[in-house]
Amino acid sequence: MIRVLSMMMLGAALVLSGCSTVDYGDAQARETVTTDFGSTDLQMIAAKMVDDMLVFPPIVQMTQNRRPVLFVDRVKNKTTEHIDTESITDTIQSKLINSGKFRFVDMSVVDRVRQQLDYQSESGMVDPSTAAQMGRQIGAEFMLYGNLSSIVKRDGSTKDVYYKFTLKLLNIQSGIIEWTSEKEIRKTRKKSLFGL
Amino acid sequence: MLLIRKGFPLLLVLALLSGCATRSLFVPYPNQATAWQSGIGSPQPAATEKLQKAAQSNDGVLYQQELGRVSQLDGERQQSQDAFAAAIDHYQQTDEAARIRASSLVADTSSLIVNDNARPYTAPDYERIFTRAYQALNYWAANDVTGTAVELRAAGEEQRNAARKRDREIAKAEKDADDNQVDLSQYQGYFEGLDAAAGSVKASFQNAWTFYLSALFWEAHGEYNDALVDYKKALEIHPDADFIKEDVQRVSAALNGRLHKDGMVAVIYEQGFVPPRQELSLPIPTVHGVFSVAFPTYSLQNKPRPDSLRVLDSNRQPLGETRVLADVGALAAKNLKEQLPGMLVRQTLRATAKYNAQKKANDDFGALGAFFTQVYNLVSEQADLRSWLTLPAYAQATRFFLPQGQHSLVLSTPGGSATLNVPVVDHGLTVIHVVAVQGHLITRVLPVQEGPL
Repeated sequence: MIRVLSMMMLGAALVLSGCSTVDYGDAQARETVTTDFGSTDLQMIAAKMVDDMLVFPPIVQMTQNRRPVLFVDRVKNKTTEHIDTESITDTIQSKLINSGKFRFVDMSVVDRVRQQLDYQSESGMVDPSTAAQMGRQIGAEFMLYGNLSSIVKRDGSTKDVYYKFTLKLLNIQSGIIEWTSEKEIRKTRKKSLFGL
Repeated sequence: MLLIRKGFPLLLVLALLSGCATRSLFVPYPNQATAWQSGIGSPQPAATEKLQKAAQSNDGVLYQQELGRVSQLDGERQQSQDAFAAAIDHYQQTDEAARIRASSLVADTSSLIVNDNARPYTAPDYERIFTRAYQALNYWAANDVTGTAVELRAAGEEQRNAARKRDREIAKAEKDADDNQVDLSQYQGYFEGLDAAAGSVKASFQNAWTFYLSALFWEAHGEYNDALVDYKKALEIHPDADFIKEDVQRVSAALNGRLHKDGMVAVIYEQGFVPPRQELSLPIPTVHGVFSVAFPTYSLQNKPRPDSLRVLDSNRQPLGETRVLADVGALAAKNLKEQLPGMLVRQTLRATAKYNAQKKANDDFGALGAFFTQVYNLVSEQADLRSWLTLPAYAQATRFFLPQGQHSLVLSTPGGSATLNVPVVDHGLTVIHVVAVQGHLITRVLPVQEGPL
């Protein structure tokens, strides 16, 4: 009796002390831990936006002979979660630049760029022939901006989350929206019947 | 072997009692809470440490809520934000937990032989709504507009969800009572105090104060549609509040392009602490006779009277007076009332279990065993007095308009007064957060909100 008991204790101790493991996973793998906004949502949104934009006929035509300059305004977070929307626009921006069809100016580093320009022109430390000159930056022609909104419904054992991401490309001079696209995502979670 | 089998229930009880998983088993929660209520308003490392430690227990969410609130009032914004975020994580886990959980079965079983405090604390809806509102104030104080907007939206969503699930839950609890043959009407007389404390509150989650707070925020950012919806929701709960009627008219006009020029100043005023639950001895009839059990309730005597805060300008001219938008004591009482059917069922089962234990002890363990079982049954009979106790007794608000510039305002309450220098911006919103606890005022002016979101 005692032997059986001690064997069971030993078994339990082994199971409980099992060490935790660290592993690398596929960054593109579908992530379905919770219904919250996650990496798969971000990737789906970015892929859809870039694909839509690059095949839109007027944009194909516009980017045939030149690489227009864009700037990313921001994507408004209108959901009930704290989502880093800059991370979504960063991914979109990277994909667009890598397509070779667009160029970007970055408004988030303007202050630091100005500091560097001041240093190059005023500190006396920089060879004037190599110093970058003030007033020679290229103005953006288009602005990218958008919205991320969500509708969340919960009912007993089911939670339904609907995300809608809208992105717009606006011609700064004419004020015309040249392109827009939407990505909808619906996620549903059902409570399991048994658990710890 | 016989000894082991006989001793097993005792061993089990010992194991349960020695586990510090649930602190409220034998120390009533309101007694614990005085540790952090008394020093509120200035940093209190000892109480904070106590709360942080308790936050790891089974009742973690309750202590996280307390910690969030205490640190917010003590001026530790980041700590408060982390604590509320942990509480919100916990809500999500509760919402998404499996319907039948091994751990809650264990807790239910131990609550059968100990008391309801053995069940892990789950935050009622009215507390969840306050958590979201306070978290919004944390983001607001840090001037994180997007974060504030997210939390205010989430507060509204909590209220909608609560409305959706409430009817179904009450129906289910009454069905359970039927199934277990517990006649709920026989206890009606014992809970008159509870009814009085709940007053005219229609549902435990209806919180006009958080609706009003979010409406102010939306209006300041030109989101007139959202503002109108939330002002109307607040008005629905307090149909006689004249200043909310004006708000509805003003925002309707703004939707049509007619903007109010001056800057708005709003005072959100939180008065006192919500009254704690009290213990009531309730005779429960079982098959073996009447068994007296401890039951939580609220009473009207315990409830402070609402007093308003008046705002005066530097010439002592009145600018506004706050009005109660959420009677938190009543929300808590209403919540307890909504939970009553389920609690009565558990109490009946527990009374039977304890009677059986007593009977078995009498038969098997002789006089000494019977004596200890009786003592145990008496000592372990503790009502579930847990609830978030640093919430205010009354959440109030008022608002008025002032021209752009710096203004010196006098806030006057029966518990003390304060003079503040307040910035006002045309079309902007300046919120003054005032908390009256322990005979003094804690005041802060939140960053001015203006411009589109």
